[in-house]
Amino acid sequence: MALPRSMIFLLLLLLFIPCFASESIGYEPQEEEGEEFSEELLLKPLPDRKVLAHFHFQSRVPPTETYGPHHRLFPKAIYQLVQKFQIREMELSFTQGRWNYERWGGYDPISSNNAKPPGVELWAVFDVPQDQVDASWKNLSHTLSGMFCASINFLESSTAYSAPDWGFRPFSSNMRYGTLPREAVCTENLTPWLKLLPCRDKAGLSMLMDRPSIYRGFYHSQRLRLTSTEFISAGLNKGIELEQTLTIVLQPSTPGNSMAYSSGSVLQPSWSLSSLFGRKVGGKCVLAKSSNVYLQLEGSLISELNNLQKENERYDTDNLAFEGSSSVHGFELSVSPDRVIKELNSLGKEHPSILYEFLMENYTDSKPFDFGLTWKLPVVWSCPQAPLHASRFLMGSGNERGAIAISLKPTKQNEGFQTADINEDMCSLQVDVFQVVPWYVKVYYHTLQVFVDGQAQSVADVIKKMRVSPSEDKVSPGVMEMVLKLPCGVKSAALTLEFDKGFLHIDEYPPDANQGFDIPSAVVSFPEFHASANFLEDASSNKSPLLCKLQEKSPVLSYTEVLLVPLTTPDFSMPYNVITITCTVFALYFGSMLNILRRRAAEEERLLKRKAAKKNGRFPLLLSKLYTKLRGRQWEQPQSSSSSSQSSSSSLSSSLSSLVSSKLLIKVVLVAGVAAGWQYYFG
Amino acid sequence: MIQLKMETFFKFMVFSFFLLCSLSLCNANASRSSSSSSSTTRHTNNWAVLVCTSRFWFNYRHMANTLSLYRTVKRLGIPDERIILMLADDMACNARNKYPAQVFNNENHRLNLYGDNVEVDYRGYEVTVENFLRVLTGRHKTAVPRSKRLLSDEGSHILLYMTGHGGDEFLKFQDSEELQSHDLADAVKQMKEKRRFKELLIMVDTCQAATLFSQLQSPGVLTIGSSMKGENSYSHHLDSDVGVSVVDRFTFYTLAFFERLNIYDNAPLSSLFSSYNPSMLMSTAYYRTDLYKRQLQEVPVTNFFGSVMETIHTDSSYRALSGRESHKDKIKMPFDPSASLHDQRASLNSNGQKEINDSNKKDQEVACPFTRMMATFHDKMEKIEDVDTLVNYGFVLMLPLVAVSTWLSW
Repeated sequence: MALPRSMIFLLLLLLFIPCFASESIGYEPQEEEGEEFSEELLLKPLPDRKVLAHFHFQSRVPPTETYGPHHRLFPKAIYQLVQKFQIREMELSFTQGRWNYERWGGYDPISSNNAKPPGVELWAVFDVPQDQVDASWKNLSHTLSGMFCASINFLESSTAYSAPDWGFRPFSSNMRYGTLPREAVCTENLTPWLKLLPCRDKAGLSMLMDRPSIYRGFYHSQRLRLTSTEFISAGLNKGIELEQTLTIVLQPSTPGNSMAYSSGSVLQPSWSLSSLFGRKVGGKCVLAKSSNVYLQLEGSLISELNNLQKENERYDTDNLAFEGSSSVHGFELSVSPDRVIKELNSLGKEHPSILYEFLMENYTDSKPFDFGLTWKLPVVWSCPQAPLHASRFLMGSGNERGAIAISLKPTKQNEGFQTADINEDMCSLQVDVFQVVPWYVKVYYHTLQVFVDGQAQSVADVIKKMRVSPSEDKVSPGVMEMVLKLPCGVKSAALTLEFDKGFLHIDEYPPDANQGFDIPSAVVSFPEFHASANFLEDASSNKSPLLCKLQEKSPVLSYTEVLLVPLTTPDFSMPYNVITITCTVFALYFGSMLNILRRRAAEEERLLKRKAAKKNGRFPLLLSKLYTKLRGRQWEQPQSSSSSSQSSSSSLSSSLSSLVSSKLLIKVVLVAGVAAGWQYYFG
Repeated sequence: MIQLKMETFFKFMVFSFFLLCSLSLCNANASRSSSSSSSTTRHTNNWAVLVCTSRFWFNYRHMANTLSLYRTVKRLGIPDERIILMLADDMACNARNKYPAQVFNNENHRLNLYGDNVEVDYRGYEVTVENFLRVLTGRHKTAVPRSKRLLSDEGSHILLYMTGHGGDEFLKFQDSEELQSHDLADAVKQMKEKRRFKELLIMVDTCQAATLFSQLQSPGVLTIGSSMKGENSYSHHLDSDVGVSVVDRFTFYTLAFFERLNIYDNAPLSSLFSSYNPSMLMSTAYYRTDLYKRQLQEVPVTNFFGSVMETIHTDSSYRALSGRESHKDKIKMPFDPSASLHDQRASLNSNGQKEINDSNKKDQEVACPFTRMMATFHDKMEKIEDVDTLVNYGFVLMLPLVAVSTWLSW
């Protein structure tokens, strides 16, 4: 019996396999088919009375092999870029302002993925042979500069970019990284970025992007992230994914509601979309697959609000007035959310954060979405922080040398986490540092010193791995990548590096050289910590790309400040001064030399005397005549100082000259008369 | 031996003769073709190169000037991909700007020049003399994208507008480099050789702008500058909210002229040039027409500031290009209310125009200072009515002087 059974089983299996196979074959294209576009906006109140708005647009196109090169939604320019330069991954960000890690958080996905250094940051991973990477990078920088109206082409120069090995991102070969800290960011960069969206800024969430209100904010970062699997072997190919995010920190205007409460805390400003942006959302972009607005409330804020609620319940029983649509008290939403999502699986966090979801499908132009948040109770909370707060500064004085210092200090929130781990003896905290220094700041890497808790430590004890590529004058910048292992209970840690300031050629100085030169931000990451927020309870229902991104495990990462190094700037008019001085010196030298060589003293004296004799004839003679006439004395012929042999000739000449002079005088007088007449008539 | 040498010599001679002949032939061909091409090519497209050369916040007005012109040419129909906009600094998102992402050219703040659709092609440190000359002459690196190139051809009318700080025969870039009039003339000459334009209008708003044109020689170039040699160009007014001057006088009155125009207007260039009143400008607008063949009265401003082509009416579809016999119809406005207005203004400003023309005449005669002096003397002499009395007075004055002189010589 066993045999037929197994036979039947096999038969059944044989029968079903084609079914499964066909199903799987038929199923896959259905899932993969078509381009996708989605738009989302995440709003989040920040502890320092500001509001974070995070726009997230995502386009995805299936691989060219199956889908072909023609697209309905995906921007053609980006597709061509990927194809031409064989980009595997690329990220371009334009940022103005500095992300305040202490107040706006450093341990959530938004801060570690979207907080960027000021100016332009570009990195790209290419799928080309090693020797063509630089050429691709150069062409890419030019293309992007044309596309986004920015001077990204300055990254073309080998002094501006570097090739990080493992310090910036793990496993990054064929990667190039460059920043332009001083690049201005303005509407001309945002406009082409918006033109990549299928609805541009004419419909959907991007309608909110009123330029003056965006650029009035404290921080704005516009980011474009490309992930392509086009060039990976078939099978894994998922096509190209374009992620565009705009992160803004805005200050809601507070029209007179800043009344102080008894506890000294001030009510958070209430805001709405129209008060923040001056516009409302008139429905979704019809081309978008999903169009959602989320309001995220931080876990600590929720717990704070719960505490307040408990207190209120204790003190006054009739607090029913506070109960609005939301389950949490202390604030009121002007629109009731379509869904409330609680964060799952929040390791190490006492309180999960809450997400309110609003679907834009339900709104139209005639019924625009204008979401508002009104605070009822004053509340103070803080955002989750990265394990260590990194800051970087310059030391030393003068125009010759200095030192760069990176200081790491534990954040307040982190203490609880550290005590949890302190039981283990060899508890350590890994910190990766990646720093690029331009060549004219000549860093001496052997002077690296490490201080832990104020005590100098030997470098080998703390630094587990280090890669340094020293700068080469006018060729390449200095790159430093290192892995630090710090003890868990560290109170403070600091790294110092000394440097000399180099000299630039006069042509290399920018027009505003007196302002100083920038050292780009260093990147400090904590690979043992992952910033992710899991809001997806089940994978099947309504996969929101933004929530997927928030869920992705990425190491906690922060950027330090940009440093401004004053270099010795020459007086730029110096060449002219030098030229004029040199010319003067040469003229004096050659003039006097020639004078000495060519002069014949005796002959010249004779010539001079003759001249003097001639000169005596005219004007001085007349003057002396006038003088004697006025005095009423007899006029005498003055004796010329010349020798007696010349006296006869001189007397002759003098008599002749008097005759000439009278004629000349008449002429002079005539001219004077005409001039006087002229003056009289036309003066 | 000698024979051999002679032979080689002869061969060489023959060779060189042929070479010379061929060269001269080539030259003749080239010159003929170039001359014929310039005369036959039709105006087919418009380009604009707008340059603000000044850095730093206090030069806000230069950027506002350039952006105003940008707005004007865009309004009159030149598309963004045919405008090369160079701005040496970022004023709109400058930390000192009270109105972020906005630039105004008037204190009434009615018009935001930095709207939602500005494409800046070169900005910040990229605005250098080198890049400017590269744009004009088209000698770029291969990687430079199309949006940063001036892709004009022999049918192009190009408007080149520059503003910044200048002096005698130079224009400063970013306060660190200078563009000399020789450089500009050389670039224009190269453009002409490379057939990068049919007609070029250079408009410059700086101090002593007229001196920048002194070296130009290429045909088809029309120039206008805000001031003569030795004159300054002044700003128009200060915006106390922004804290700096927001527009220059020359550009302000240029815009005032253009604000009344739309794309269908046939206002000629002469009406623009005569609209500059020296007392309002506080400088003398100077234009040089000796390189420009066409009459200014016949050239509409939209030939340079807009993108208005001649429409050629043809009966059949493919005979259009057969030549000049086909009669050309210019676009005509069905109703042109502004025309009479222009006439009125032209008559009002005829005085100013005369002054401009006078100064032009003078400048053309610059040849030698002595002859110029004589000419002015002669002019003045001719203006005097009663010469006899003047002579009499002269004689009367002469008498005492003669007396004094005789008394002295006695």
